[in-house]
Amino acid sequence: MSPQKKTSGERSPFNWRSLFESFRPRREGTMPAGLILVVIVLAFCVAGLLDADSTLRKSNAKGDGIRNEIAKTVASVTDALHINFFRNSIDDALGKNQGTKVDVEELLRQQAEAETAAAAEAAKKIPELTAPTPAEPMKIWVGGDSITQTFGTSFQRITQSTGIFTPTLDYHVSTGLARPDYFNWPEHLVKDVLPANPAILVIMFGANDGQNMVDANNKVLERYSEPWMTEYRRRVAATMDLLKSPDNQRITIWCGPPPMGPGTKTHGMDQLNYIYWSEAQTRPWIQYFDTWPFFSDSNGMFAANLPNADGVVRGMRQKDNVHLSTVGGDRLSWAVIDRIGKLVNLSAGNVTPPPTQGPPRSVVERTEVPPNMPGAE
Amino acid sequence: MPRSFEGAAVVSALADLAEIGVCAVLSFSLSSSHPGNPSMLFPTVDFAVFFLVVFTGSWLLRPHKIAWRWFILAASCVFYGWWDWNYLMLLFLSIGVNWFLGLAVFRTLTPEGERTNASRWLVRIAVVINLGILGYFKYFDFFVSTITEKMRSIGISVDAPILNIILPIGISFFTFQAISYVIDIGRGQWRKPLTLLDFAVYLSFFAHLVAGPIVRASEFAPQLDEEPDPRYVRSAESFMLIFRGMFKKVVISSFLAVQIVDPVFANPNAYGPLAVLMAIYAYAIQIYADFSGYTDIAIGVALLLGIRFPQNFDSPYIALTLQDFWNRWHMTLSRWLRDYLYIPLGGNRGSKAMMYRNLFLVMIIGGLWHGANWTFVVWGAIHGSYLVAERIVRAKWKGHELGLPPLLVKAMQWFLVFNVVCLAWVFFRATSVDEAFTVLGRLFASHGSTAGVSLLLMVVIVASIASQFVPSRFPQKAEVWFATWAPALQIAALAGGLVLVDALGPEGIAPFIYFQF
Repeated sequence: MSPQKKTSGERSPFNWRSLFESFRPRREGTMPAGLILVVIVLAFCVAGLLDADSTLRKSNAKGDGIRNEIAKTVASVTDALHINFFRNSIDDALGKNQGTKVDVEELLRQQAEAETAAAAEAAKKIPELTAPTPAEPMKIWVGGDSITQTFGTSFQRITQSTGIFTPTLDYHVSTGLARPDYFNWPEHLVKDVLPANPAILVIMFGANDGQNMVDANNKVLERYSEPWMTEYRRRVAATMDLLKSPDNQRITIWCGPPPMGPGTKTHGMDQLNYIYWSEAQTRPWIQYFDTWPFFSDSNGMFAANLPNADGVVRGMRQKDNVHLSTVGGDRLSWAVIDRIGKLVNLSAGNVTPPPTQGPPRSVVERTEVPPNMPGAE
Repeated sequence: MPRSFEGAAVVSALADLAEIGVCAVLSFSLSSSHPGNPSMLFPTVDFAVFFLVVFTGSWLLRPHKIAWRWFILAASCVFYGWWDWNYLMLLFLSIGVNWFLGLAVFRTLTPEGERTNASRWLVRIAVVINLGILGYFKYFDFFVSTITEKMRSIGISVDAPILNIILPIGISFFTFQAISYVIDIGRGQWRKPLTLLDFAVYLSFFAHLVAGPIVRASEFAPQLDEEPDPRYVRSAESFMLIFRGMFKKVVISSFLAVQIVDPVFANPNAYGPLAVLMAIYAYAIQIYADFSGYTDIAIGVALLLGIRFPQNFDSPYIALTLQDFWNRWHMTLSRWLRDYLYIPLGGNRGSKAMMYRNLFLVMIIGGLWHGANWTFVVWGAIHGSYLVAERIVRAKWKGHELGLPPLLVKAMQWFLVFNVVCLAWVFFRATSVDEAFTVLGRLFASHGSTAGVSLLLMVVIVASIASQFVPSRFPQKAEVWFATWAPALQIAALAGGLVLVDALGPEGIAPFIYFQF
């Protein structure tokens, strides 16, 4: 640069043209505070425009009030101007956002069209499944959110060890029923899971669902508000309906999430449990499994450490007080197998839990889930 | 001051990449804070907006020293209270008690600054009070459950209360800083105690409040009286530190956690040796990326306000000895342990056996500082034992030549130290000692899944380690070069960097690992 040419570092006071001229700091690596403020604010603005779609997705999930309104406005502007192309191209290249806008009701309509009257009649009673044997093991699928990661891997290992199951594990972290735009579980179940024809599905959602939702009319529903509950119930009910098999030869064990520990951001699990439990009451092919007592103390409160059947107290949760430890995963797996044993004859397999892994006999599911919930009978 | 640069030179950024948006600037609201709120993590839009306000206010008020102090104190309270306003009382309590004790200790010193019996007792009281509060929040449940289990093992059933106490964020860090202040006064290292306002600003300063670095009053307080020139803010270095920190935290740490570390540690029995080995190496990178990423951002943020923090990491995974590793890893904790624990225990004075005992004890206590779990004790014991062994071997083999090429010897040393550190990390990460042994046992399994192991994973691990060998002069040159870019180009680079990190990161940002300590 010629010595005569002025650079922005030498200029004062600030003028906009200086933004486009190379900068010569008076001291190496420095910049005036005022110019830094301009750089940061403008960088945020540009990033905000480029990232508007991503911001809106997250704002829909947790945003409150004006924050969400502004995110919508910015996203609509960037959409009209196609500024979001840059970010969306990166997402596409990275294979992000596997979700779709297909609503669960649409999937249900397609399924209902194919359903016969005989099948509807058959679904009125609990499916009677053929007892599995080592020669003819039963296909069992376990899936859900990140809690299912530990539980599912335990369940997969333990069911395999019984000799009468062929398990498949299918978990997706940060997913649930609240964000089909991020991961569409109902669609995944219909397209990828059910065609493999598992006789039993073990499913767990909820830990990621305590967030705002967007309904079919693009309206943001505040989490745990009445409209939110109604919408969530609709999704749960429809997902349960999707899991009905035409020949009534499939059972879904729908596991409610366990209590979450202190310091976690996840709460309201029992409100979701009530929805799962109450919707399962009218659907014999859905068996609600109450995980709560298996991970709480005698007062029904979260407990990180609990005794197994051998009386030894072990850590049931990971350090985040949300996810299960391997020990917790084993405990839940044996409890679920015990529950399956009440529906299907499992006598051909080794389904007796070692006392070091299984819960004490005194720990049982609650008779009413959860107690004292409005509307619970 | 030396600085470390592990990553490629890239432009900087300031705010949450996960949620960045113009909208956020307008939606900043303190009223949304309530107990149970997530803490104000650095890479969030809340912090970005908070920082813009603080940055502007700080430079406007800097010439007015008292007003500036009150402003920074108020900002720090907002930052801490964002998580839970109730715990602000604990911070105020720590400020009040330690300032008072510091003053009392100072007044009991001789006019020449020599210790007296009274000053010694007051220092001991300060240490007991600080460790008592820390112990209650951190170790009460651990202590009760350990006693209960021991009694159960001898046939006595006790229904002891487990309080499920929530650990206030940052308590370990500000407690250590407070202790160092009182002890330094007691040692006569401070000729004048800080005013209450200065001490409050020091202990609560938001950039180091929740996860360090552990800054000493002697490093921080003099900067309060300086009046940095707003024309010469170290922008390039700050931007670089902040961007690098966010990339490490949001992209590297999160990727490794989700891809392999969490699944393998959650259920090691399902995995074979390759996956387990990759998970162990990946965790070594994850915890480094997470923690050093946080301190990079903290140092960068403070620097933008004209405050220089001490360096906390200096490419620790290039160390050829474990002693060198501790000169490079969490450096502010290492020197705290050295000055306030190792030396008072006797340090290198006395017999070799005593020195080894001191070294071992310091590492055990350092382990327990991280949390109330036997896994941290084992972690400390591994480090302590190896440090002792290293000294014994060095003393015995001094002057001996192996007859091998020096480069090969260095490579072998590096490999050994890195793997010992990784071995210790297994205990650090596992939820129990049993689980840690299960993970290690799977290294010798004859079968198991390789799920999660991919070429990308290996590239990330190798590149992360290799980046630590990059000489620091390269990123420093890049900084200087970046500072000469036209501001518009800097804006574009920062914005592009923000979007890229957001895109490469997962949905949402997990809290920093070191927040739990």
